[in-house]
This record gives sequence, structure tokens and C-alpha cells, in this order.
Amino acid sequence: MPSTNADHPTNAAPAIEAVDLRKTYGSTVALDGLSLSIPRGTVYGFLGPNGAGKTTTMRLLTGLARPTAGGVRVAGVDAGDRRAVAPLVGYLPETPPLYEEFSAREQLEYVADLRDVPRELARERIERYLDRFDLAGDADRRIAGYSKGMKQKTAFVGTVLHEPDVLFLDEPTSGLDPRAARTIRESITEFAEGGTTVFLSTHILPVVEAVADEVGVLFEGRLVAEGSPGALRTRAETGEGTTLEDAFLAVTSDPQGDVDR
Amino acid sequence: MSTNLRSDLRHAARIGRAEYRRSLRRYTRDVRRLLGLAIAVLFFGGYTLVSLPSVLFLGRSARSLASIPYVGPAATAVPVGLLALAAFRTVERLGAPDEPDLLLTAVHPRAVVIGLIGAEIARLATWFGLPLVALSIAFALGLGALTVPLAAALVIAPVACWAAVWGYALGLAVLWLLRRLPSVRRLARAGGVLALVVLVVGSQFAARYAVEADLPVRSLLSALTVGPLVDYAALAFLGTPLERPASIGAVAVPVAALALTPVGLAAATRGAEVLWFADDVPRSDDSGATSSGGFDAPRPFAWRKSGRIAWGLLVRGVRDPTSFGHLIVYPFFVAPLGTTILSSSRDALGPLLAGAAAGFGVYLSGATFGLNPLGDDRRQLPLLLLTATSERTLVRGRLFAGLAVGGPIAALAPLATIPLGTTPLAAVALSAAGVGLCVAAGFLAPGLGAAYPIYEPREFWGGEAVVPSTLVTLVYVFFSVGGSSLGLLAVWYVVTSHLAVGADVAVALAVYVVLTAGVSYGAYRYAVRRYRRYSLE
Repeated sequence: MPSTNADHPTNAAPAIEAVDLRKTYGSTVALDGLSLSIPRGTVYGFLGPNGAGKTTTMRLLTGLARPTAGGVRVAGVDAGDRRAVAPLVGYLPETPPLYEEFSAREQLEYVADLRDVPRELARERIERYLDRFDLAGDADRRIAGYSKGMKQKTAFVGTVLHEPDVLFLDEPTSGLDPRAARTIRESITEFAEGGTTVFLSTHILPVVEAVADEVGVLFEGRLVAEGSPGALRTRAETGEGTTLEDAFLAVTSDPQGDVDR
Repeated sequence: MSTNLRSDLRHAARIGRAEYRRSLRRYTRDVRRLLGLAIAVLFFGGYTLVSLPSVLFLGRSARSLASIPYVGPAATAVPVGLLALAAFRTVERLGAPDEPDLLLTAVHPRAVVIGLIGAEIARLATWFGLPLVALSIAFALGLGALTVPLAAALVIAPVACWAAVWGYALGLAVLWLLRRLPSVRRLARAGGVLALVVLVVGSQFAARYAVEADLPVRSLLSALTVGPLVDYAALAFLGTPLERPASIGAVAVPVAALALTPVGLAAATRGAEVLWFADDVPRSDDSGATSSGGFDAPRPFAWRKSGRIAWGLLVRGVRDPTSFGHLIVYPFFVAPLGTTILSSSRDALGPLLAGAAAGFGVYLSGATFGLNPLGDDRRQLPLLLLTATSERTLVRGRLFAGLAVGGPIAALAPLATIPLGTTPLAAVALSAAGVGLCVAAGFLAPGLGAAYPIYEPREFWGGEAVVPSTLVTLVYVFFSVGGSSLGLLAVWYVVTSHLAVGADVAVALAVYVVLTAGVSYGAYRYAVRRYRRYSLE
């Protein structure tokens, strides 16, 4: 689990802090003045239609891309300081970053080594996670022969092996069967209870409803709504029995100029 | 050593080991790759074995360093060649790591840079290490000084380090430039291939011209020799009969190389950061391109469904020229042969050019779209195989697309050589024969390609493309170039009355025609069957 040392200078800072973040590609504006302040231990559901700028946001927040303007701090550390930010974050992109020539065990040991997880501790964690995600029986098979769900689960384990302070998950339950999806949902909740901040981007709204403390909705590069799932449903004012899906459709079809909190 | 550097070196070693292991597993992943590997080992191994006695004799007969032919230019060419190789490999393959999101959120870019370079050195050592060691041992045995291989390795190490990091930095700079200037990138892709063709063909002519014109090659090369590099290379022969007094230059070279290596590494790391983090979304050159008017094939393509499929292939090919990367094999095989024939042509230049052009058209007819039909269609197969369009039509679409490229060359180029001395009769005959052979090649290629489809894209000039298996391409080159050469030569001999058509010649020609048509048609039927029986894995 992440560091909980209160004396550590970064522990007082929000887990994720983005100030007036802007990203352009030529004349195309991918992200326009995004500001976020996400407290530690929060599961933050990040929603938005296709092409809204979610992946761009995640890449900026992890330091994998440079903003055109604005700044990002992760656990108090400038995201541009890669050496300092690397141990603090785990990032699971939408396409699982796996080497198909490796087996799951080799892949995870490799990731643990790069993450400087001590060998014995890494082995203990790997065995535990492989078992938990029903991968133990196939752990020595090459990943090239894995199903989409098995690949996704392996990549998820690789992302959490070093128990980062902040987890960035891009569609982590995509392609998973209900059992595996539930295991990941439960893992997200457990990580959050242990103090990890989870930044969760997904289109599967029931997942967000189940695990998210806060929700942000991105539309055309701008944050158009933010709050708890319940508050978002209420503010969408779409009638009785409103779901998060209704709220999502409401705010992304008639976006307001300012963040609706 | 700082903590950061120590940490980066440890991560780099881990990345290098992982990348190298992945490469080895890719080389040996299936039977096709093992077969290709066996052929490469046989080819290069045989070449090395044949060279060993000559190298042994060279070592035995060497009295001084200066007596070894071209040692000065070679000593100069090695660092330049290593630098160029490193830059080329960076542009072609190593410019970005696989799974960058994983690596770049876990370790510092410097570790990734060192790891990738280390893995590439290990790969090169695997391919070329054994032959080089064998040759240097043979030379050392001939010289009677077994220290030479070890000394040579020590001498080359600093230069190799310098070349590796600066070549990587140079390659990244080129990639950065290509990213900033998409139009240059498009031009470089086409121009790069063209430049390679010109280089291969031009080198053949240049070598022949140098010999025939009695150019002062030695003085030219000595002018290009860098003295300190030769002095430094001579250090590999310390304590041997080839030893010569050390100079200041000999010491300055490794000192400079070692001093510049960290600078190069810093430049490469900086370049990597700029390239890998500056623009996060890899966008293809034509991501903003638009098309209007829908899919409207022109005549004659519009007449039949296979023609419309052919038109679709042509349009996609023009929009993504990297899919034609495999065509580059042709000049490598034909240029040495072609220039030899051309130089001995005397007054037959016109007919030879006519035949060569027709042969080139034949090659293109099959190679352009036919050598990896299932692999090219891999993503569309679930759609294609569930439509009412027959498999035969799909294969014919590829055939017609290839003919649309190669056919006009085979048909028109021989006629264009009439002003160069080809008789009208010979030009028309070669043109007609070329068109016929184009059809045969068009039928042959999909069969060969369907026998071993390649589904995975691979890096090619900074982009990814699914290109045919090298083995399939080589087999096709062998059959199409060999077969068409035979046919076109026979036609030329017949129409120029150099060959009297008696019963034996007629039988031979008939056998040739039947074999060509039969094998090609059989290959076509096989391709259709592979499509029909294809099942998604």
C-alpha cells in the first residue's frame, strides 16, 4: 500500500492536482483549461464520450505527455519530474502494455524489477495476484496465447505490483468476464481503502456507480460536471429514477460553460 | 557513480536483457522463422567458411600493416559505418520502445535508451559475432599471434560505444525532423526507397566504371583515410609482426571516443525525451486527410467486381505506400546481374532494356499485391468471407491490381526501346510475351503468398506495415525473374532468327509454356482454396 508517512512533504498535497491544463495539436484543442484537485484515497470516475480528451488527460497526468499550458502535480510531485513521479504512479492504458513473447510470470517479474520491488516481495505479490485473478494455472504460458481478458488482468496486476500512491486506469474492466470485472472492482475499492487514489476512466457507468467517490465528466476537452455520483444524478434533474447514465447523457448533450459542482 | 546513474544502468541492463530475449523468441517462434534462420545460417556460414582460407593466407602473407589491402580506408570506414548503421537502425526500428507506456512510467528515459542500444548490440553480435570471431581467429592463426581477436575487440569497444550513442542521437534527430515535417516524411519514405535503389544500381555501375576507366582508386581512398584512426586500429596488432610505433593520434582516438560517449548518451536521452513525450498521440500522416465522391472505380475497373476490388487495393496502396516495402528486394537481386549483362551487351542494348523492362513488369504484376493476400486482408477477412463475393473474385482482384501496375510497364516499355535499337518486331514480341508472363506472375504470386501468410505488422521506416515473408518474396523473385528471363530470351532469339524453330525448340517452348501456365494456375487455385478454407484463429 502507498506511503502513509505524515512527515513526508508530499503527503499533505492532493493526490492529483491539475491547474488550467491545456493541450493542443496544431489547431485542434484536445484539452481546454482542465483543473482537478483529487484528495488521497479517492476513487475518481472520469467520464466522457469518445474523443472528449480522457486519454490525453491521463497521459498528461502521468507525465507521458507535456501540456501545452498548465501544470500537474501527483502526490505533490511535478509530473514532469519523471524520476520522482515514476514510483508514485501506476498506469494501465486502454491497450494492455504487455510483451507477447513473455509468459505472465516473466512479464510481472520484469515489471517488478523495473519498479525496484525487492525480488522476494515481488514473487510473493505476483503469486498472490495470479491466484486472485485466476491466472496461476496459465502463468507460464506465453501471453501471445492469452485471451483478451487474461491479457487485461495480467496488465492490471503489473500496474499495481509496486503499490503506487496513484493508480490511473483506462477502461480496466473492458473485455473482462463478470467475475474478473468484479475482482478488479473489488481490488479498486481495496486499494482506495488502503489510501491509494484511483483515477478511473471508463465507459461502463455501473462500474463508476459501484466504486467512484467522485465523478468528473469531460466533454470536448472541458470538465462540464464534477461531484459525487449521487450529486451528479440529482443535478442532472432528468426526473425520477435518474441513473448515472441519464446524468451523463444530460451533461454531455447540453454542456454548460462552467464546471457544475 | 551517482545513485541515479547506477539505478539507470541496472534498469537498462534489465531492459536490454528482456528486449534481447524477446528478439530471440521472435526469431525462433515458428517453423517458418526457423527455416529462414537455417537458410541464413547456411548462406552466411557457407560464405564465412569459404572465406576462412583466404583470410588465413592473408594473415600468413602479411608483412606489415600497410601491406594489407585497403587497411587504411577500412579503419576509417568502420567507425563511420557503425555510426551510420546505428542511425539507420534507430530510424528504421529502434526510435521508440515497445510498450512505451509501461517503460516510461516505470523508469527514466536514459535507462530505456541504454537498454535499447544494449539489446541492439547484443542482436548484432548474435548475427555477426561468430563469423567475425571466426575470421579474426583465422587471420590471427595465419599471423601467428592469437592475441589479435581479443586486442581487436578491445580496440573497437570505445569506437563502438561512441558510434552507438551518437548514431542513436542522430537517428532520433532524423525521426524528430520527420515528425515535425510530415511532408518531408512522406517524401523520405518514397525517396528513401528510391535512393536505396539508385545506390544499389549506381554502385554496380560505379565499380565497373572505376575498373574500366582505370581510375586512381588507391589514391582516392588514401585521400579519404583518416591517419589517427589507422594508427589506432594498429594497436590491435601490438606484439605481433604487424606492430608499428604508437602515435599521439592512436591514443587520442579512444580518449575522444570515451569522452564523447557520455555526451552522446546525454544527447540521445534528451532527444528521446523530446521525441517520446512531446507529442503523445501518434498520428498518421493522413489522419486529417479526407476523400469525397465515395467509392467510384473508373473504367475498366468498374466493369467487374474483381476490377472494383483491384481499384480498392490500388487506392489503399497509394494512400499507404509502406505496404510496398517488400518490393525493395528486387534491385538487390537484379542490379548485379543486370549491370553485368548490360556491360556486355555491345549493340544489343535496346533489346536488353526491352527485356529487362518487361521482366520488371512481370515482377511487379505478382509482387505488388499478391505475395501476402491473406495477411493483407487479415482485418477485413471476417467481413470479406461473410459477403456474397466468392473467394475467386477476391483473389482475382489482387491479380488485376497487380496487372494494373506491372502490365503497362511490360506492354509499353519494350516499345519505348525501339529508338535504342530494338526492332519493331522484337519490341512487339517482347511486349506480348511480357504481358503474358505478367498474367502468369499474377496467378503465381497469391498462391505463394497464401502458402505462408504474415499477419503481424513490422517496423518499416518509422511506420508499421504488414509485408510478405522474406522467404516467399525470395522464392517469387527466383521464379518470376528466372522464368521470365528464360521466356523473354527465347522470344528474342526466335524473333531475331538466332534460334531456328525446329521440332526440339518447339517442344522446349511448349514445355515452358505448359509449365508456366500450369504452375501459375495451380498456385491460383491453391490461393482460392486457402481463402475458402480460411478460419479465424
